[in-house]
Amino acid sequence: MFESETVELFGQRQVQVHRAGQGPTIVWLHGPHGVRKHDPVIAELAKHHTVIAPVAPGFNNVDELDEMRDVHDLALHYDDLFEALRLDGISLIGHSFGGMIAAEVAAHVPKRVARLVLISPFGLWRDDHPVTDLFARPYATIDRILWKTGEPSDVMADPANFPNDPVEKAVAITQAMTSVAKFIWPIPDKGLRRRLPRVTAKTLVVFGAEDAFVPSIYADEFASVIPGARKAVIADAAHMVPYEKTFEVVRLIEQQFGEKVRAA
Amino acid sequence: MKFHWFHLMPYPYLPDDFKQRYRSVWVDPPAAELYDPVKGHQVYNDYLDQLEFAEQAGFDGICVNEHHQNGYGLMPSPNLMAAALARRTSRAKLVILGNSVALYDPPTRVAEEMAMIDVISGGRLVAGFPVGTPMDTAYCYGANPATLREKYREGVELIVRAWKERRPFAFNGKYTQLRYVNPWPTPIQTPRPPVWVPGGGSIETWEWCINNDFLYAYLTYFGYLAGTAVIDGYWETVERLGAELNPYRVGFLQFVGVAENDAEAEKLYAGPAQYFYTHCFHLNPGYVGPPGYASIATIRKGVRSQVRDSAAQVQGKLMSWKEILDRGCVVAGSPATVVDRFNDMADRMKVGHVLLLLHFGNMSHETTLYNTTRFAREVMPKLRHRFNEWEDKWWPRDTLAHIRKPASPAVAAE
Repeated sequence: MFESETVELFGQRQVQVHRAGQGPTIVWLHGPHGVRKHDPVIAELAKHHTVIAPVAPGFNNVDELDEMRDVHDLALHYDDLFEALRLDGISLIGHSFGGMIAAEVAAHVPKRVARLVLISPFGLWRDDHPVTDLFARPYATIDRILWKTGEPSDVMADPANFPNDPVEKAVAITQAMTSVAKFIWPIPDKGLRRRLPRVTAKTLVVFGAEDAFVPSIYADEFASVIPGARKAVIADAAHMVPYEKTFEVVRLIEQQFGEKVRAA
Repeated sequence: MKFHWFHLMPYPYLPDDFKQRYRSVWVDPPAAELYDPVKGHQVYNDYLDQLEFAEQAGFDGICVNEHHQNGYGLMPSPNLMAAALARRTSRAKLVILGNSVALYDPPTRVAEEMAMIDVISGGRLVAGFPVGTPMDTAYCYGANPATLREKYREGVELIVRAWKERRPFAFNGKYTQLRYVNPWPTPIQTPRPPVWVPGGGSIETWEWCINNDFLYAYLTYFGYLAGTAVIDGYWETVERLGAELNPYRVGFLQFVGVAENDAEAEKLYAGPAQYFYTHCFHLNPGYVGPPGYASIATIRKGVRSQVRDSAAQVQGKLMSWKEILDRGCVVAGSPATVVDRFNDMADRMKVGHVLLLLHFGNMSHETTLYNTTRFAREVMPKLRHRFNEWEDKWWPRDTLAHIRKPASPAVAAE
């Protein structure tokens, strides 16, 4: 499904970048599951777009996190990557952890991002509606929180997504979870609220109405702090809303990116 | 062999249905609901009496440790306990096992407090530096598990250097920046007190201890039979690095109950042991493996965390006394039985420093003193000669010959 390349950045950073489809370019920043071999959302988007999906630091090798100390380093890392890929004024989508990164990039370097879709992002905090502590439960049980049905979809659960060797599978999961945890421990609030008013991208915030990880009230939080942002809350879906309601979410993305993208 | 009397300081009044009503003994058991500070007054003072009694009974070291938000470990600050003991004891070494360095900002606070205890006690401090359990560090203190180990090692490096340097220095670390490192007081022991590192079974920890000449202590609650595999891994690492196979470079923890015979052992110790394993070790499995806490190398080597394994072993089950004994969790019985088991442990593990839990669970004060006395009189003398041929390089060597004892206030005023 993908073509993959390794992009070299200064500081001996290497970024694996997946590419799929034809058409106007959009960038997809993945959530805690990484980029699965048969990602149904990317597949749907790739029907009309060139989808560029970089792998987040640490997911392939936790050592990449050593000098990526905080969300500022993380945001600048993506800005470096987009510069290397000659992507400017981009259409950027992020899901979950990727949503937080997308929001940070758009806030740190507003000119880099022209259109933005944040799907179930975290990065804000309300005491009265705390984000669930995903790290206070065994990994094997987090699907109960992330999916409306409590179970992953068949495509996402496909064993082909994981290494055959059980130890390597554990390593892959640990690297992904470590990478997410590093930037949000112990509470996913690292000052994003102070930065979001900087965002100039045309922004849409999408949540699943029944998200048990990041409650959908955070759709209002993000939309109220990002200038001019709109929100869409999709019924009968949870944190994995792009995989639970792929058709609806892709339609929202295409509407958000609009004719300009289609024509470009 | 050296013998150290180790207290966990459990809260002994958890309700019978604790396990049904609460998900964890650690991190989030509601303190205001479960802990009675008036009872706690008696508990702390009994426990300190027991540690002081251990010195009289002839134990080499008395040990305290650090846990947070924990129903079986009431020492968020072991240094406070060691300070209290420093004044009331004069011979036993004070083994603080230890301070979770990454939780102190700046870590020179630990260098200062430990040096105070070393000076007050006349050079009797053993400085323990655990990385800290996931519960204590990542969950109770909000430490980032991805950076915890690196921060911990940088902190230990800073503390040891602060003790050794002859001049103030600047420290520009990744986690700590200090323009002027110059802690007062300096410890009596030069160049530094012995450093002990309690840890699980990670290869990096073993290598780090060996390369820095730190003692490695394996603190499992599941006894020497289950612990042998880990200690074997440690000795393989010692050999691989070409270090001395000296038994005194390693410590091991063991629950013990000494009695007249097996029947009396069961009568005295089965209840407290079950209280420990069912109440005190009732852990939310979600708290034992935060991502990043175990290194990828450790995961690849298949070395699992002690806490995770232990929790998996006992979650949801009440172990019978027989099972507790068969697994070797508790070594119990007549003095002759206990001596046999300890000789077996010494043969298998070559461990020079034994940390003894002679109080565990909700054991009464009287039973604790009885257990302590019998171990000291009838077990310890028969094992003392083990490893005599080795020099213990991980033990205080600069302890003052004359320890000034506290004067009564009236005398002090004269």
